[in-house]
Amino acid sequence: MTPAERVEPYVEFARKAFSREATYRFEVISAIGSLVLRVYLLRSVWTALYAQNAAPAGIPLHAMVTYATVALLMSLILEVDGTRAIREKIREGTIATDLMKPINLPLYFFSDGLGMTLFAAFTVVPSLLLALLLVHVDVPSPDALAAFAVAFVLGYLVNFFLNFLMNVIAFWTLETFAIQLMVRWASDLLGGQILPLAFFPGILGQIAQSLPFAAIYSTPLQIYIGTLPRSQWAAAFEAQVMWLGVFALCSYLIWRLAARRVVVQGG
Amino acid sequence: MPIIQTRELRKVFRAVKRYPGAIGALRTLLSREHVDRVAVEGVTMSLEAGELVGYIGPNGAGKSTTIKMLTGILVPTSGEVVVAGLVPYRERKRNARNIGVVFGQRSQLYWDLPLIESFELLRAIYNVPRARYKHNMARFTEMLEMGDFLSTPVRQLSLGQRMRGDFAAAMLHDPQILYLDEPTIGLDVVAKEAIRTFIARENAERGTTVILTTHDLIDVERLCRRILLIDHGRLVYDGEIETLKEQYGTHRTLVVQLTEPQDVSIDGTELVSREGNVVRLRFDRRETSADQLIRRVAEKYSITDVSIEEPELESIIRRIYLEGYEASPPEEPVA
Repeated sequence: MTPAERVEPYVEFARKAFSREATYRFEVISAIGSLVLRVYLLRSVWTALYAQNAAPAGIPLHAMVTYATVALLMSLILEVDGTRAIREKIREGTIATDLMKPINLPLYFFSDGLGMTLFAAFTVVPSLLLALLLVHVDVPSPDALAAFAVAFVLGYLVNFFLNFLMNVIAFWTLETFAIQLMVRWASDLLGGQILPLAFFPGILGQIAQSLPFAAIYSTPLQIYIGTLPRSQWAAAFEAQVMWLGVFALCSYLIWRLAARRVVVQGG
Repeated sequence: MPIIQTRELRKVFRAVKRYPGAIGALRTLLSREHVDRVAVEGVTMSLEAGELVGYIGPNGAGKSTTIKMLTGILVPTSGEVVVAGLVPYRERKRNARNIGVVFGQRSQLYWDLPLIESFELLRAIYNVPRARYKHNMARFTEMLEMGDFLSTPVRQLSLGQRMRGDFAAAMLHDPQILYLDEPTIGLDVVAKEAIRTFIARENAERGTTVILTTHDLIDVERLCRRILLIDHGRLVYDGEIETLKEQYGTHRTLVVQLTEPQDVSIDGTELVSREGNVVRLRFDRRETSADQLIRRVAEKYSITDVSIEEPELESIIRRIYLEGYEASPPEEPVA
């Protein structure tokens, strides 16, 4: 098989996932609508809070509103969970049909998720334009923007493996909703999606900073608004890559166990 | 060389022992006790390329478990399995290229997308060359009459249309072997017929080896010469349907239509039923020949029509499920 032939199925998975997502027009509109509403609410909340305290943790209001808006736009992409299909396929037993195909299943879920993500990325543009009617978003220097992009891609991969791990647990428990809710909540809060980690008091901030969740939202966002000095970018990337390695390894190991369980227990 | 071969294939599932009730559920959660359930017990079979065999048995007999082992998604507890020269569970992906699978109960098509897009995806998955893909698509579209709904989203298809799509999907990469699991379940008569014709044609024209798992014995009678009968995980019969009928069908039923309702009594026969002026008489074809019998009936009574009913495969199979298989079965009880 040529490399092109090896890659082709996965490109096609991504394309089909993209088209599939496009069939849900109502969901797209409601996702954009809800995002714009949240941007508006966050702007109001932060403006009110800042009226009491000029610049907590050294982040001025405009930077805070930028942070919150960019975090919401990121969530449009990061909340896409391609690996959710694993859980559904296990519960419905259709995973057996997939195993009867000459494909690598984790790679299938990744490319399916990637297709969904690419579609979600398209919704970012109209969302941003609408958000700009309500708020002003700071634009950092080109190199900070590039660094943000790198951090975002790394964070995306960490997020993928985190989701993958959560969903593969379904091989043992069938239902993973409670675990996922907990992890999602932890990753949103401790990852800095809702609040910058700089606002967390003392030891709590340090703990949050050293958890893997920070790699998903906090690192790219801090680069974006400039609270992470240029001199610390390399170290931040390193931490992201480290978490990526850890999660990828865990995913690989747990998938091998899971796959063995399927072939031994019959799915 | 056979294309599918198993020797003493065995599969035992191990499950946590479950206790009933709410307290029991807690006990189940903490318990380390296991129960073993034997799903397949020493199945040995050998299929030549191009055969079309029915693999039948009651629910829970071990049919699906066998198929899962043949497709490589289940590892046998013991025994050997070789499919087209590969050990399926060791080379799942390579084996997958040799096989096509259709499940009547679940579709492999993309639910939200037009049917044609599922075919394009499968073309990519199996790396079917473009020319081959076009050729196959043209054939399937014609044979399965899919032209009208190729661009319809799968969720909007009728069951019959969806099944036709699933068959095309399974055969798109020219698999050597086709596994069918209840492929006609829930279909109307016309759709069933279309599917049967397709299976027969693919088998005859392309030499595809087919294993047909079904509860619909009409499918089996129409398509297969050979059947494998499995019960409680054991292969109880492996041979031609005709042989089975010979062994079990020692009795025939003579259906006599009389000009007027009356009692009928003929030596060497047994009255099965009498409804209006239709009388059913059972006889042993080893002792009485049909033409003798008809002559005797015609001499004694005024009749308008006669016909002979053979035992259906279904009643034979039912008997085997209930009593187990024996090469020379005892006298058939009166139904």
